Amino acid sequence: MVNLTIDGKEVKVGKTATIYEAAKEAGVHIPVLCYAKKLLPYGACRICLVEVEQMKGRLIPSCTTPATEGMVVTTMSDEIRKVRKTVLEFLLVNHVIECPVCDKGGECDLQDLTYEYEVISNRFEGEKFDLPKDEINPLIERNMNRCVLCGKCARVCDEVVGYGSYSFINRGFETKIATAFDRGLNCEFCGQCVSMCPVGAILPRPFKFKARPWQLKEVNSVCGYCGNGCTVTLGTKDNEVQTIRFNDKTGVNDGNLCIRGRFGASYVNSDKRLTSPLIRKNGELVEASWEEALETVATGLRDAGSSTGILSGARLTNEELFLVKGLAKAVGTGNLDHSGGECYKGVTQGLQETLGLQASTATFPQVENAKAILAIRTDFYETHPVFGMVVNQAVKRNDAQLTVIGDKQGKLTRMPHARTLQHKPGLEVNILNAMCRFLLDEGLAKIDGLQGVEELKVALADYSVDAVAAAAGVDAAAIKQTARELATVENAAILLAYGLPYTANSRELGLAAANLSLLTGIAGRAGSGLYLCGEKSNSQGAIDLQILPAAGALGASGMLKAASEGKLKALYVAAEDMLVSYPDKSLVEKALEKTSFVVVQDIFLSETARKADVVLPAASFAEKSGTVTNAERRIQRLNPGIKSPGQAKSDFAIFQALLSALGATAPADEAAAFAELSAATSGYEMVSLDMVGDQGYVWGSDNLAPEMRNLVAVAGGKAIEAKYQLVVGSSLYHSGTTSLHAKGPMAVVAEPYIEFGREDAAELKVVDGDLVKIKAAGGVISAKAKVDRRLPKGVLFAPYHFGALDLNRIYHGQAAIAVEVSK
Amino acid sequence: MSRIKSPAELEAFRKEILAQRDPDKPCITLCSGSACNATGSGKVAAALELEIEKQGVTTEVVSRRTGCHGFCEQGPIVVIYPQGICYLKVQPEDIAEIISETIKKQKIVERLLYVDPNSGERATLEEDIPFYKNQKRLVLGSNRKIDPRSLEDYLAVEGYQALTKVLFEMTPEQVVGEVKDAKLRGRGGAGFPSGLKWDFARKAPGDQKYVVVNCDEGDPGAYMDRSVMEGNPFAVLEGLMIGAYAIGANEGYIYVRQEYPLAVANLTVAIEKAEEYGLLGKDILGSGFDFTIKVHRGAGAFICGEETSLLNSLEGKAGEPNARPPFPAIRGLWTKPTNINNVETWANIPMIINKGAAFFSAIGTESSKGTKIFSLVGKVNNTGLVEVPMGASLRDIIFKIGGGVPGDKKFKAVQTGGPSGGCLPEGLLDTKVDFDELSQAGAMMGSGGMIVMDEDTCLVDIARYFLAFLSDESCGKCTPCREGIRQMLKILTNMTKGLAKEGDIDLLFELAEATKGSSMCALGKTAPNPVLSTLKHFREEYEAHINEKRCPSLSCKALIDFYIDPEKCKGCGACFRKCPAEAIEGGKKRIHVIVQDKCTKCGGCHEACPAAFDAVNILSGVPVPEATPEEARAIG
Ligand SMILES: Cc1cc2nc3c(=O)[nH]c(=O)nc-3n(C[C@H](O)[C@H](O)[C@H](O)COP(=O)(O)O)c2cc1C
Ligand code: SF4
Ligand code: SF4
Ligand code: SF4
Ligand code: FES
Repeated sequence: MVNLTIDGKEVKVGKTATIYEAAKEAGVHIPVLCYAKKLLPYGACRICLVEVEQMKGRLIPSCTTPATEGMVVTTMSDEIRKVRKTVLEFLLVNHVIECPVCDKGGECDLQDLTYEYEVISNRFEGEKFDLPKDEINPLIERNMNRCVLCGKCARVCDEVVGYGSYSFINRGFETKIATAFDRGLNCEFCGQCVSMCPVGAILPRPFKFKARPWQLKEVNSVCGYCGNGCTVTLGTKDNEVQTIRFNDKTGVNDGNLCIRGRFGASYVNSDKRLTSPLIRKNGELVEASWEEALETVATGLRDAGSSTGILSGARLTNEELFLVKGLAKAVGTGNLDHSGGECYKGVTQGLQETLGLQASTATFPQVENAKAILAIRTDFYETHPVFGMVVNQAVKRNDAQLTVIGDKQGKLTRMPHARTLQHKPGLEVNILNAMCRFLLDEGLAKIDGLQGVEELKVALADYSVDAVAAAAGVDAAAIKQTARELATVENAAILLAYGLPYTANSRELGLAAANLSLLTGIAGRAGSGLYLCGEKSNSQGAIDLQILPAAGALGASGMLKAASEGKLKALYVAAEDMLVSYPDKSLVEKALEKTSFVVVQDIFLSETARKADVVLPAASFAEKSGTVTNAERRIQRLNPGIKSPGQAKSDFAIFQALLSALGATAPADEAAAFAELSAATSGYEMVSLDMVGDQGYVWGSDNLAPEMRNLVAVAGGKAIEAKYQLVVGSSLYHSGTTSLHAKGPMAVVAEPYIEFGREDAAELKVVDGDLVKIKAAGGVISAKAKVDRRLPKGVLFAPYHFGALDLNRIYHGQAAIAVEVSK
Repeated sequence: MSRIKSPAELEAFRKEILAQRDPDKPCITLCSGSACNATGSGKVAAALELEIEKQGVTTEVVSRRTGCHGFCEQGPIVVIYPQGICYLKVQPEDIAEIISETIKKQKIVERLLYVDPNSGERATLEEDIPFYKNQKRLVLGSNRKIDPRSLEDYLAVEGYQALTKVLFEMTPEQVVGEVKDAKLRGRGGAGFPSGLKWDFARKAPGDQKYVVVNCDEGDPGAYMDRSVMEGNPFAVLEGLMIGAYAIGANEGYIYVRQEYPLAVANLTVAIEKAEEYGLLGKDILGSGFDFTIKVHRGAGAFICGEETSLLNSLEGKAGEPNARPPFPAIRGLWTKPTNINNVETWANIPMIINKGAAFFSAIGTESSKGTKIFSLVGKVNNTGLVEVPMGASLRDIIFKIGGGVPGDKKFKAVQTGGPSGGCLPEGLLDTKVDFDELSQAGAMMGSGGMIVMDEDTCLVDIARYFLAFLSDESCGKCTPCREGIRQMLKILTNMTKGLAKEGDIDLLFELAEATKGSSMCALGKTAPNPVLSTLKHFREEYEAHINEKRCPSLSCKALIDFYIDPEKCKGCGACFRKCPAEAIEGGKKRIHVIVQDKCTKCGGCHEACPAAFDAVNILSGVPVPEATPEEARAIG
C-alpha cells in the first residue's frame, strides 16, 4: 500500500494506483478526457494535470503518474485552473460547436468541462475542422469534426476488442483518427468505440434524435442473448428501449458489449411482437382471451398427462425454469428438456463423469491473468464475444499464449501470436486426447490424486501426437508445445462453447477437455479454469435447475422421435423456434404434425408457433424480473424497463396461471420462486436474493473445486471423406433466432449465406453474392455465397440462425456434412 | 580470418596488425564523410589511387579513406601523416602535385593550405589550424585515422580493448559504477546521467533486456551523430556491447535515420566484420557473453528521436511518445527493460573504460564531464563539427574555433540546442558549455546544434522559423503541444507580417508557459524555448514589431521597404538592371525610383547599388517618402 496526501486528505491506495485513481478513491474529482479505467494509461489530453510537491516546476498528468509514498498532491490551484482552461480553449479552437443538435449534448465531457471551467470566450482562433462524416454503416456514425483526439476509440478497439479499426494518421494539427485507407467503418460493430468517445464524434445511429440523455430512464438488466451475461443498461422512454447505455460499474463485462448486446435489443420494440393468445380454430390461429387459452392448455395437458413433452429454451429466467419444472410435475411427465440435440452433454455428462460438476470451474475475469489459453473451436468468439475480449486482453496485456483448436480461422486465430491447430472437421477430441497422452508420456501430467490414470493410458494408445497430427493435418510440435504450456504455466484456461449448432460429440468434447484439465491441474486451481459456456443467456441456469429428462423419461431427441411416431399426446414449447434452430427439421416437422396438442409460448409468431394449437404471448427480457445464471455461474438480476405489449405476459406469470389452472400451487412472485429454487438447487442452497448485488453472485465461489478427479477414456472422431464438407455454427452478429428480429444485427447480416474459403471459391468460380446450391442427404439448400479467408480448402460454413436457409434439413447434428456444391 | 576466441588471440592479432604498419611510412588520409563526398571526395580518391600507381609510389605510401574530419566547409580534406600536413578543398587535379611534391620531395603545396581569413597566415599542420587547435577531439579524434570499414584499423587504435577488459576483468556492477563515476551525461539532449540510467535498466526485473542506439538525429543541420556513426562505427558497437554486458542484454538495436545511407552502409559492414571475427554473436572472445545487433532504418520524423517514440517505431507502431513513467529502463522495447543512449554517448564508453573514470571526469565542469561535439553553423567563418571540453565558453567556440562572424557584420546571437534550443545574446557569450549553465541562460545543450547569427538576423523571425519546424513535427498526440505551438506560430507569423496586436507578448508568454508546463514529451515541453529566450534577451525587437511595425534587423519583408535616396543616387542604373520585378523607374542620368507596388523586396537593388553610392536604403517602421516627381529626376 502507498500513503499519500491529496488536497490535504490522507489517502491509502494499492501499489499500482495512479494519482487520478488515488484521488478518485479519496472522493476528489479530477477532470479527465483521454483516461478510461479499462484502457492502458495514455496521458494525451492534459486536462488532468495536478501539482505534486515533490515534482515542482511542472504540472503532472494524474492519469499516468503512479501514486508514490509520501506524495503531496494538489488538484486545484490558479495555475491548474488556468492551464486546464487553456487546454479547453485549444480543444475548442477547431471543434465544431453543434451542441443543440449533437446527440452527446448533456453527457459530453467537452461540453461539461467547458461549462465547469467557464470557457466563455476563446483567446485563440483557427479554422474549424471540415472533414466528411462516415455514415456508411447503419449503426455507427463518425463525425471527426467533433473529435478531441483522445484516442480512446482506437485504443479500445485494439486493446479490448482486438479488432483494430482505427489509427491516428498525419501529424500535428492534421492528426486525425482514421480507418484503414480512410474507408467507412466496417467491423464487428460492437460499439465499444461509441461507448468510449467522450464527445459526439462517434455515435450510435439508431439512437439519433431519439432522446436527450436526461430524458432516458436507466434500468440495469442482463443481456438476453448469450451466456456471457453482460449487463445491459436499458435507456427507456415512451415504453421503448431507446438505447443501451454505457455502464462499466455493474456486472462482469466492464461496460463491454458485442453488437447483439449494444445494437440488438430493438426486437423488444418490434411491432411483430405477439400481443394476444392465439388458439387454432378451424385450422386458423385466432386471437383468444387468456382465460380461454389457459383453459385450453390446461385441459390439453391434463389429458396428455405423462404423454406430454416439455421443451424449454434457455433464455427463460431461473424462476421461470423453476415453474417449468413445476409444470412437468403438475402434468405428471418426466419428458423435459431445454435443448435440441442435447448439446449441453459436455457439461451434464462430460464434466459430471470426470469432475462431478456441471459447470465451468472459474470466473471470466481470471482469464485476464492466464498465461496459456486453449480455445476449442474458433467459434468461441462468435458465441461469447465479450469473453473473447477478455482473451484478447490476456494476450495483449499479459502476453498469454493463445492456442486455438479449430476447423477454420477466425477472430481468435488472428490475435497476436495465436497458435492455430487447424484440423479436419470433427477431430477436436482426437487432438485433446493427443495432448493428454503427451503429458502422460512426458511425465508432465499432474496425476496425483487422479483416478483412471492407467486406464486412460491404455485407452490413449491410438492417440500418439504423431498419429493424431497426421490424421488431423496439424503440426505435432504445436500440439506438444500447447500441452506443455497448459501444464506448466501458473494460470491457464481451457474454453469450449456449446449450443444448438454444436451438438456433435458434445459429451466426448466435455470428457476430453475435462481429462486435459485434470492432467494439467487446471480444474479447480485458483486463477485457472475449464470453461464450458452455454450459448444462451440462461443455459447454465437450465442445467443448474436440471431442465433435463427425468430418469427413464425422454430428452429432446427422444421426445421428437416419439412425437414423430405419434407417441406423444402433447408438446409444450417455450422460448425456442425449434423448426429453425433444432437439428433435423424434418423430424421436428413430423413431431409437430403428429402431436395432437401443441402449445408454443414465445414473443414472436415463430415458424414453430405457426404450427401450434395454442400460442401464448410472452415477455422479452426487457420486461421481466428474475435471475439468470451465466456461463461462469454468476447469478444476475433482470429488471423490467418497459411494459409488455398488449396482453403479453411474462413467462413467469403464464406458468403461474397455468399451474393454478392445473390445480397446483406456484410461488407468489419471482422472489418467492428464487427462495424456493435456491433451496432445491445444488450449489444455490446458500444463495439468497439479497446476495445477488451489482456484480451478481457467483455460486460455488470463484473457483469451483471438483467433486472428484476421474479420468474417463473417450474415443475421438473420424474425419469424413468428402470433397466438400459443410460445418455449421453461430455467426458473431446473431444469437439463436431472436436476433433476426433486431435491427442492429440485421443491418449487418440480414440474410443467410454459405461461406467459402478463397481456394474453393476460386476453384468453383464462386464470388461473393452468387447463389449457390448445397446438396446433401436430407435435401438441397441454397443461399448467397460469401467468400472469406477463414476456411481451408474443402470446408464450407453456414450460420444456423436463419429459417429461410432450411439448414437443418441437412444438418442433423453432424460435426461435418458431406455436401455437393453447384451454382 | 576465423573467429577470435580469446583475449590472447585478440592481442596476438592486434600485434600482427601493428607489426605490419610502419608508423613513419607516409599515410595519405582522405576524408570521405557525407559532406566531403558531396564536394567530390570520391573523384579525389580515384585520382589518388591512379596517381600513386602512376608515380610508382605504391610501396612507399599508404592511402586511407576515412570518416569525417569535421572541417566540412573546407572539404575534401587530405591529411598526410606522420606529420599531419593538412590540405583543404583538394580537387582531383591537385593529387599529382601532392604526390610528386609532398610525398616524393617533402615539399608543401602552399596553395592547398589553410589561410587564416583574419591574419592571412597559412597553417601547414592540422594542429596549427585554429579550427582544430582549440578543440579536444576525444571522440572524433580517431575518425581521421581509420577506415571506418576496417576492423584492423580499429584494432590498431586500441579497439576492443575496453570490451575485453569489461568481459574478463569487470562485473556488470563495476562497469555501471565506472560509468557513474565518470559522471557521463547523455549526449542526446536531456543530459541524463548515463550510469544511473544503466543502473535502472540493470536492476529492472526481467531476463530479456535490450540496448538501443539512438541515431535518429532529427535536428535540422546537425550531423555529429552521423559523423561518428559513419567515421567510427566500431566504437559505437563496442560501447553498445559494454552497455549490454552491464545491464544484462543480449540484443541491441541501432535506429538510424533513413537519410543516412553512408552511416547504415558503414555500420552494416562493421557489423558483418565483427560477426566474422567473432566480436559479435555467441560466446564473444570465449567470455560466454552473447550479443547480436539489428539495424533499423527510421522513418524520418523528428519525433522518432524521442526515446519512447523511437521504441514504438522499432516495434512497428506509429512513432509517437508514450507517457513516462514507466521509463524505458523499466518497460521499454516490447515491454522489456531497455537502455537507450545517443550515438555520442555510446561512443564515449570505450574511452571511459580504457582510460578510467578519473581521466574522463577530470575534463569539464562540476556538473558536465568530458567533451561535447557541436555542429557549428550560421554566420561564422569556420563551420563544421567541433569537439570541445565541457566548460569551454561559447565565445571561444565562436571566435577561436569558428573564427568569428564573416565580413564586417556584428555578432548578434547564438542558438544552441537544436530547434527547441534558445538564443543567447552577446552579453552571455561567456556562458560555458555545461548542461546546467546553458539551461539557466535560457538555451540548452540539446544534441549539439550551434547556430551563429549576425546583426542582419531578426530574432522574431528566427523564433517563428523554429516554431514552424516544431509545429510541423509535433506528433499531435497531446493537446498543448499540438495546439499550443500552432497558436504561438500564428502570433509570431503575425508579428513578422506586421499584423501583431497589443497584448500578443503576454499571450505568447502564457502559451509558452502552458505548452512548456503541460505537454507530454520534451518536444512540447521545450518547444517554447526559442520564444522564451528571444523574449527574454531581445524583447525590444518584439516590441518594435508590434508597436512600430518595425523590424530592427531589416529582415522581415512585410515590414521593410526599399527606397532610393534621391540625394545619393547617381543614376548608374545598376539597380535597374538587377531588379527582377521591373519595379524601378530609371533612365540615363536620372534619379532612380522604386515603384513600391511592384517591389517584391528581393533586395537585389540594395546589393546592386555600388558601395560608393550606397543609395538604396532599407526602411522599416517609417513611411516611404514621396517619390521624386518625374520632372525633377534629371541628375546634374
Ligand atoms: C523531440 C525529440 C527528439 C529527439 N531526438 C533525438 C535524436 O535525434 N537523437 C538522440 O540521441 N536523442 C534524441 N532525443 C532524446 C531522446 O529522447 C533520449 O533522451 C536520448 O536518446 C537518450 O540518450 P542519452 O541519454 O544518451 O542522451 C530527442 C528527444 C525529443 C523530445
Ligand atoms: S461533442 Fe457535441 S455536445 Fe459536445 S461540445 Fe461538441 S458539439 Fe457540443
Ligand atoms: S464497433 Fe467495435 S470493432 Fe468496430 S470500431 Fe468500434 S470498437 Fe472496433
Ligand atoms: S473519435 Fe472520440 S474516442 Fe476517438 S479519438 Fe476522437 S474523441 Fe476520442
Ligand atoms: S486524462 Fe490525463 S492526460 Fe488525458
